[in-house]
Amino acid sequence: MITTAIDNSVFEKLHKTEAWMFTNVSALSKIDFACPSEVDVSVIATHDIAPENPFVVFVNGVFQEGCSRIADGISVNADTHGDIAARGDSLIPRGDSSSVSITGTHAVTVHVLQIVTGDVPVACFGNVIVHAAEGESISLAETHIALTDQNHVFMPCTEVVAEQNSNVTIVRSIRGSKEAYHLGSLHVAQHESSTVQTHTITLGGKCVRNEVYAYLDGEHCESNFDGMYMLGKDQLVDNHLRVEHNEPKGNSREFYKGVLDENAKSVFTGRIYVKEDAHQTDAKQTNQNIILCDDASCTARPQLEIYADDVLCTHGATTGEIDEEALLYLRSRGIPKDAARTLLIYAFLNESLDELTDDGFRTVLVDELLSNLPGGNFIRTLYL
Amino acid sequence: MTTPLLEITNLHASIEGKQILNGVNLTIMPGEVHSIMGPNGSGKSTLASVIAGHEAYEVTEGSILFNGIDLLELEADQRACAGVFLAFQYPVEIPGVSTKFFLKAAVNAIRKYRGQEELDAMDFLDMVEEKAKSVSLNIDLLDRNVNEGFSGGEKKRAEVFQMAMLDPLLGVLDETDSGLDIDALKIVADGVNQLRTQDRGFVIITHYQRLLDFIVPDFVHVLKDGVIVKSGDKSLALELEEKGYAGIEACKSECSCA
Ligand SMILES: Nc1ncnc2c1ncn2[C@@H]1O[C@H](COP(=O)(O)OP(=O)(O)O)[C@@H](O)[C@H]1O
Ligand SMILES: [Mg+2]
Repeated sequence: MITTAIDNSVFEKLHKTEAWMFTNVSALSKIDFACPSEVDVSVIATHDIAPENPFVVFVNGVFQEGCSRIADGISVNADTHGDIAARGDSLIPRGDSSSVSITGTHAVTVHVLQIVTGDVPVACFGNVIVHAAEGESISLAETHIALTDQNHVFMPCTEVVAEQNSNVTIVRSIRGSKEAYHLGSLHVAQHESSTVQTHTITLGGKCVRNEVYAYLDGEHCESNFDGMYMLGKDQLVDNHLRVEHNEPKGNSREFYKGVLDENAKSVFTGRIYVKEDAHQTDAKQTNQNIILCDDASCTARPQLEIYADDVLCTHGATTGEIDEEALLYLRSRGIPKDAARTLLIYAFLNESLDELTDDGFRTVLVDELLSNLPGGNFIRTLYL
Repeated sequence: MTTPLLEITNLHASIEGKQILNGVNLTIMPGEVHSIMGPNGSGKSTLASVIAGHEAYEVTEGSILFNGIDLLELEADQRACAGVFLAFQYPVEIPGVSTKFFLKAAVNAIRKYRGQEELDAMDFLDMVEEKAKSVSLNIDLLDRNVNEGFSGGEKKRAEVFQMAMLDPLLGVLDETDSGLDIDALKIVADGVNQLRTQDRGFVIITHYQRLLDFIVPDFVHVLKDGVIVKSGDKSLALELEEKGYAGIEACKSECSCA
């Protein structure tokens, strides 16, 4: 059993750095974190959404072999971290934890469930290392859930190496209890002509920081780093991305959409770095927000750092309210106001899934979105 | 005595503090088709929006009864459920919402309100097919998002198609003919004519009398500066075509406005 306690003083001054200037987690420095040795695994079955698929379960950062369904290519790592996480300048603390490695081609999606639970605040990690060798395809659905109303801090880290012509899809969904902190990171290294798609969907937690560090180290890389979020009362999401184009002809997209209610706050930082000679880079970042309530707010920071000529880099950020004309149009056809709003919010968020090529994933995500959207069941009645 | 389908009395309405309608009176009996003509900016779309329940418009005076009930008490969606349909002059594009999705929500909301059973997917699709045919609407369009990427003519045809789907008691068509070539105009008119019954009434707002060759109105009204300045039968439309709206002004004092 891993019992390393975390040095929580690191949280105290994070917000003094440029990368964390809008996200203050200093409250965490005053909490005595525990790492319970006994965990209740009885809750796992209810979150086993794909009983036919490989299933990798962590509870409080500890791999649960007994509850998992291991397939070929899935094994426990001796080392906590691979090489990719160390490349960036992430300030999220790293500590010892279980680490699971996923390699080989998987015909079906591997479901990774990470649960944080306990009657006292828990600080934990939980690492996954994905290695897609040449021509292989791996898809991963990560579910991160904080179960108890404690100031847990959860720092899951997934590293991805996508070798030549490989294909990796990762959908990470975050549902925390109202008091939980989620400081997660994805680190992606891509080789020539590889395709990586990630989608981060944030539906809960007090404070959620989603970091994505991507290194396009070969020519013709295709990358989509997308996300959506729907937050309410006093919640904060901070999507923080850095995409490095190190070789020519890479194509990257960052597309994040969110809906904010009741004093919720969104921060989006998307840095695109284009190395000299990484010509014909095509990089685009977009952050769009709908604000449902006057006291919700959002901050978008596009950052371009470009050292090559002949590149196409664009960014766009919008913040608006629900389109009143569209709302009236729907209502003038008999759809009640609440249902019409639900339909427009659903439509808005759903667009962030447009680039996702895996239909199965899309279905899972839409389902999750509808389960969390007030009135979302109404949308289910419209399927044909 | 039959209850009027629509009874507008001394209607005054404003938007953003600007007074647009200045005492409109209009009574429509079941089965009647009324045409409203008038120059740009005379308040035709405002009248249509007020009937449909657009919240940006404020009714400052007067009343609207629909089948004897106070329409102004109802919200836009309740009016639609009660049987009011507005074919918009400028149909709104709604990204991310498929037309079929949207229509299923609308049809079933209205059926629920009227105490009818909600349609399942099969019955709904059968109905879509049938009604789309009635206005020669390419059914593939309905897999697109609401009005997104529709041509001007397709948008207008889609409005009439929606009207057929929602089965209203009163259809208000706001310049549904503008931007249509003669063939499309005939198709749209034919779609409307198929919906003419002894219970249903129509308000056809148009600039041009040519639509009225195909949808023959029982009454024609001229709206100017927010009031109906002249009413007559379909020959009034021809007269307007000939003399223009300026010619109407002269007779303003001597005509009795309905
Ligand atoms: N949202 C608005 N804000 C301010 N004025 C408006 C608005 N909508 C319409 N109007 C004004 O109201 C008048 C009537 O417009 P409208 O009803 O659209 O006329 P019509 O349909 O007969 O051309 C015009 O002068 C127009 O400029
Ligand atoms: Mg108009």
